[in-house]
Amino acid sequence: MNSLRRWETLLFVLLLAVVSLNATESRYYLGVGNFINLFQLSIEKSIVALMMAFVIIGAEIDLSVASVMGLAACVMAYTFQQGAPLPLAILLALAAGVLAGLNNAFWIAYVGLPSLAVTLAGLIGYRGLARILVEDRAIGGFPLWFNALGQQGLIGPLTLSIMIFVILFVFFAVLLHASAFGRLVYVVGSNVEAARYSGVRVARVKTALFAGSACVSALAGVLYAARLGSVRGDMAEGFELDVITTVLLGGVSIFGGKGNMVGVGLSLLLILNLRNGMGLADITGNTQNYVIGGLLILSVLVPNIYQDIQNKWKGRER
Amino acid sequence: MARVNWLRRHVRPEQLRELSLLALIVVAVMFFGSMIEGYYSFRTFNRIASSVAIIGVVAVGQTLVVLTRNIDLSVGSIAGFTAFFVGTLIANHNGVNPLLAVAISIAIGGALGVVNGVLVAWGRVPAVVVTLGTLAIYRGVLVDLSGAKTVTTDSLPQWLVDLPRLNIAPVGDLDVRPLFVVAVVIVILFQFGMGYLSFARRFYAIGSNPEAAQLIGLPLKRVVFIAFVVSGALAGLAGFMTLARFGNITVEAGRGLELNVVAAVVVGGVNIFGGSGRVTGAMLGAIMIGTLEQSLFRLGVSEFWRDALLGLLILLAVASDAVILKRLNRIWARTELKRIDSLAERAP
Amino acid sequence: MTAAAELDSPILDIRGVAKRFDATQALDDVSLALLPGEIHALLGENGAGKSTLIKIITGVHQPDRGQMWLNGVRVSIASAADAQRMGVAAIYQEPLLFPDLNVAENIFICHRDRGAVVDWSTIFRDAEAILAKLGVALDVRSPARGLTLAAQQSVEIAKAISMDVRVLIMDEPTASLSAHEAEELFRLVRDLKRQGVAILFVSHRLEEVFALADKITVFRDGRLISTHPRAETTPSRAIADMVGRQIDLSRRRATSARLEPLLSVTDLGRRGVFEGVTFDLRRGEVLGFAGLIGAGRTDVGLALFGIEPATSGTIRLRGEAIKVRSPQEGMRLGIAYVSEDRRQLGLVLPMSIFANVTLPALRRYRNRCGLMRTSLERRTAETFRTRLAIRTPSVDLAVAKLSGGNQQKVMLSKWLNTNPSILILDEPTRGVDIGSKAEVHAIIAELAAEGIGVIVISSDLPEVLALSDRVLVMREGRQMAILDGDDADPETVMNAAMGQTSAKPLGWPA
Repeated sequence: MNSLRRWETLLFVLLLAVVSLNATESRYYLGVGNFINLFQLSIEKSIVALMMAFVIIGAEIDLSVASVMGLAACVMAYTFQQGAPLPLAILLALAAGVLAGLNNAFWIAYVGLPSLAVTLAGLIGYRGLARILVEDRAIGGFPLWFNALGQQGLIGPLTLSIMIFVILFVFFAVLLHASAFGRLVYVVGSNVEAARYSGVRVARVKTALFAGSACVSALAGVLYAARLGSVRGDMAEGFELDVITTVLLGGVSIFGGKGNMVGVGLSLLLILNLRNGMGLADITGNTQNYVIGGLLILSVLVPNIYQDIQNKWKGRER
Repeated sequence: MARVNWLRRHVRPEQLRELSLLALIVVAVMFFGSMIEGYYSFRTFNRIASSVAIIGVVAVGQTLVVLTRNIDLSVGSIAGFTAFFVGTLIANHNGVNPLLAVAISIAIGGALGVVNGVLVAWGRVPAVVVTLGTLAIYRGVLVDLSGAKTVTTDSLPQWLVDLPRLNIAPVGDLDVRPLFVVAVVIVILFQFGMGYLSFARRFYAIGSNPEAAQLIGLPLKRVVFIAFVVSGALAGLAGFMTLARFGNITVEAGRGLELNVVAAVVVGGVNIFGGSGRVTGAMLGAIMIGTLEQSLFRLGVSEFWRDALLGLLILLAVASDAVILKRLNRIWARTELKRIDSLAERAP
Repeated sequence: MTAAAELDSPILDIRGVAKRFDATQALDDVSLALLPGEIHALLGENGAGKSTLIKIITGVHQPDRGQMWLNGVRVSIASAADAQRMGVAAIYQEPLLFPDLNVAENIFICHRDRGAVVDWSTIFRDAEAILAKLGVALDVRSPARGLTLAAQQSVEIAKAISMDVRVLIMDEPTASLSAHEAEELFRLVRDLKRQGVAILFVSHRLEEVFALADKITVFRDGRLISTHPRAETTPSRAIADMVGRQIDLSRRRATSARLEPLLSVTDLGRRGVFEGVTFDLRRGEVLGFAGLIGAGRTDVGLALFGIEPATSGTIRLRGEAIKVRSPQEGMRLGIAYVSEDRRQLGLVLPMSIFANVTLPALRRYRNRCGLMRTSLERRTAETFRTRLAIRTPSVDLAVAKLSGGNQQKVMLSKWLNTNPSILILDEPTRGVDIGSKAEVHAIIAELAAEGIGVIVISSDLPEVLALSDRVLVMREGRQMAILDGDDADPETVMNAAMGQTSAKPLGWPA
């Protein structure tokens, strides 16, 4: 327990450091407007990360989230182009997400295949399905209200996406830490066999995890399309890496059973501000990527080295 | 019963899995052959062979890593980095000795693999985390250092451009191309190595039961480190092969390679939890995927459909693997019962 | 050097060894000598320091103080590899094999001197030879994964003797073996003793210790309390040394069985696993399940609970026919199954005591919105802490930090919390120290007195006989007999469990 509190404290300290540094670079940094812009840039990834935390705590992984984002957006775009009213198209997009999630869940929870392999297949397969619908084109021309929802503020400066994120964050935090379902996710992630022998419906828990993950991804895909104003077959490609990085950086163990929402939230803010700060310093998006990559590695390496030094100290004392 | 016992003595369930994969490939080839004009030609073979060769070489390294219960997701970035770097080098110094160029590729890949190995083995950072990070870092550094230029075919010396089409040893009408030969040689080398070198058996032990391996005193860290170095080195070699095959190398080279490689390894029956699986299996997996991709292309199926089908294929491969292996083990266990039965009756 | 002189000088001489872990002094000034050709038993409750000593001898830990002398030469055993090189081998309760490697490779995995290239035909031949020396027939080409526990144990022994062992340490090696298989193991151990190997043997089973050992040492709280030749001590003396008080475990409990049958099982079977199981379980009765390992007792338990449902036969609960197709159904019907593997299957080790206790009955701790009522959870855990005397500073502690006996009690609490009418206990005192064992037996007697129908699956024959009203004996998936009252004596039970008089090779699969 203590080690995790330490992790969040570390993240918080880093966050303060980064924000202070950035604030000295730019006068407008601490303003609300800038913060909103900042948040908007990765809002969809952040939403998916919230659900991915559940999946990883449950000792599973979902590599297909980015492809489901793309698939949902393409389903929406395709059906819209075929003449469906946009609200219906959006519903179909969400339905596609549910189907993809149930498909993943079936193979993982009921057939018992490893989630790495199944969601890897999903990553390739769902992207393929998305491309079948949209091919090489970019579909746009959505009604103004749709684009407005994605790009403009709904209540004051807050966009729909940001509001959804905040609501989801609170909801998921409560779900993970205070609800029975959250407790079951931790149990299944710690020791799935013991869970089974204790009468836990493991298949149902896993189904909820993967269906939820795909649903949230589908929603994120629709929001992404709204923000961009257009849909392409390769949109959101590679997002899964960022999402997983965010979650792991937040102190969630890749082996399952450990981690919390506060850490994930802090990690989100940290990465956001880091990227923004690097952007202000004229560091390209590409470099930003690998700085984040390095940060991910350090996030596990540094505590390990710290523990080694601590152990050596203890040994010397005797 | 006697025949089953003979089978039992000489073929293990894991090998049976590879045989069934081979059978599946044959079935697929026959299926496509019946649907595509002129399918059974050496041209088709060479087409498949070239793409399979690159994936296969990397899959061999990945097998070593997966055996130790790790994974290497950075192989695509390593291959791309090497392809670009060596390509630029050759473009600027056309007179470079070919063998030296190959050696440099392997060395670069190996060096990048060393970073992975150190972080996983001594830093005790999970392989997923390390290789996700280095995937981004290597690609990012490549883009930064390269200035987003491109290596073009015209800048490369003739020997390199002609390399893929070189005819090494014509067998009748079949032109055996270098890339494929390299892949086959590597697979054979590593298969023998893993099967017969004492040191190599440790990979299996460590993946099978890391705690026991530690207690016994097996050099866990060293073995895992070597696995990543080899994986990197082979990815570097694959980078060179990519350079030879395509000539035009952008900073995007090798992106997504890791997906194909992990798919090949998984389809090839290498257990994602470590401890079992063979290099030949991974190669067969690469052949299966390569055959499907090329054949669908020949069939005129759009590339978009291909990806969707590939996803489905991987799923089916892993699923059938689980089911078939379970059935096989049950049959094997029943015959084992009978065999020990007869043994007991003979014993005093 | 004459044989007599050899026998007098110890192979391994441990002097004044001490080891501290954080706040606990695990070993305090321990001195022990292991003589060649002598079986030296180590007794003590959990936490007494036995496994710490073993870890020091096998190189896993280094002592803070003290010295170790091997054959008259002072040594420091810095690693497991070191220990092996010096001829020290250990066999543990759970075999440390590599499931994916074949049997021959497992046997020779530690050998560094077999060359850089593996010579498969020689390895297979050598493996078969060593196993033959042990009187065991196994397919050396098959992966270790498929072997029974007993077979795995013999592979471990083959490993040890293949390396020219001089000091053999056995840490509860028979905890997972039945009496018959343990006998085979002892035959091998006596063979090794004749060859001059020094043997250090840790066990909780007093009958074994007194049957096998030449010298008996008792540990308590990290200190060596006594060392006696076997002839100069008795079981109750040893227990008194271990615990500091007298305990008699063999007294038969008074029966509390009523007449109405609670559970009626007829011709129960699961294809390929077991068949023909027929018995009645009455309210307040303790029905013992005896038999060799692999006889199918756990499988019957899993079938009754719904984890591996039966494929044939009928189950009647209070007269009504039922089908138990899942653990959820089993729990709903009032059946509870306490697993034999508390670390992997019975408990979620990283989680708190109260979270473990409330897990099967999670539904009761949810409020209408689906949120957890944690204060209620803690209260439940506290109730059980008092009732079962679980020794822990707080119910928030992770169960991983508890001793084996206390972990067992947490498992019991967890299932008692579901208010079962039928409680199936699988090896309830395996790896549990004598003090906690007595407490668990008392709890079982209380539960039966309250009217719960208890099934106790146990490989500890005295335990089964002391606890049970009747004993059901299984062999190879079939029910052999149900023994009542006076008929239930050790010989009758063992005869039924074995079925034939000729000895079977240890490689016999389940």
